[in-house]
Amino acid sequence: MGPEAMDEMERELRQALERRPAPPSLKLRLMERRRREQAQRQHSRMVLWQRLAASLTLAAALGGVLAWRSARERRRGEEARQQVLTALRITTRALNEMESQLAARNRDAQE
Amino acid sequence: MARDWQPDFEQLVDEHQSMVFSLAWRMTGDRGLAEEIAQDVFIELDRHLRRMESPSHALFWLRRVAMSRAADAMRRRRVRGLDLWVEIEESHGVQAEERSSPLGSRLEGLLATLPEPHRAALVLRYQEDLTPEEIAATLDTPLATVKSHLQRGLKLLRAKAASRLKEYIRGT
Repeated sequence: MGPEAMDEMERELRQALERRPAPPSLKLRLMERRRREQAQRQHSRMVLWQRLAASLTLAAALGGVLAWRSARERRRGEEARQQVLTALRITTRALNEMESQLAARNRDAQE
Repeated sequence: MARDWQPDFEQLVDEHQSMVFSLAWRMTGDRGLAEEIAQDVFIELDRHLRRMESPSHALFWLRRVAMSRAADAMRRRRVRGLDLWVEIEESHGVQAEERSSPLGSRLEGLLATLPEPHRAALVLRYQEDLTPEEIAATLDTPLATVKSHLQRGLKLLRAKAASRLKEYIRGT
C-alpha cells in the first residue's frame, strides 16, 4: 500500500469520523438528572447528619445513664462502708464495756 | 495555588457533549447506550468539577472517562452475550443532518468491525485529531502500543475497504 493511498484513506476516515451532534434532548435529560442527583445527594447528606445527631444524642444519653449508675453504685458503697464502720464502732464499744465489767467482777472476787 | 479558571458545568456540557456522545457512539455503536454513557460521564464530571484545573484538563478528563465508560459498557454487553454494532448503519432515530455520507457510513461500518483497541486508537486519531502521544495518555497505554494499534488498524481497515468498497480499489 503506497503512502498516497494511505493519505487518501486517512483523509476519508477523518471526514467520516467527524463529530456527530449530540441529540438536543441529551442536555435537557442530563440537567434534569443532575438536578435529581443533587437533590438526592443533599437528602442523603441531611439523613447522614440526622443519623449522626441521633447517634451522638444516644451516646450522650447512654453515657449519662452509665455515669449516673456508676455514681449511684459509689454512693451505695460509701453508705455500706459507713454502716459497717458504725457497726464496728458499736461492737468495739460493747466489747470494751463487757471487758470493763469483767475486770470489775474479777477485782470484786479477789477482794 | 489560586486558579483563574472556574469550571462551569453547563458550559462544559455545551462545548463537549457532541465529542463525548460521538466517542461513545463510535465505540459502542449503540445510540441509546452512547446517550447513557454521555450522561454518566457528565454526571461524573459534575462530581469531580472542583478538581478540574483548566479547560484542557477538563477536555482530557472527558475524553479519558468517555473511552473508559464505553469500554466498560462493551465489556458488560459481551459478558451478557449481546452483540453491539447493530445500529451504526441504521438511521433509526437519527435526524437527516446527522447522517454522514454513504461512503462515510460504510467506513464507519468497517471501523466497527475492527478490534476494540484498534478502533479506540483510530477514533481518537481521526475524530479527535489527537497525536499518538495524546492517545497514549488518554487510553493510559504505552506509546508503542498505540502506534502499533494505529498502524495495524489502518491496515486492517484498508484491507477491508479494498475488498468491500469499490471506491477504495483504486490506489491498491
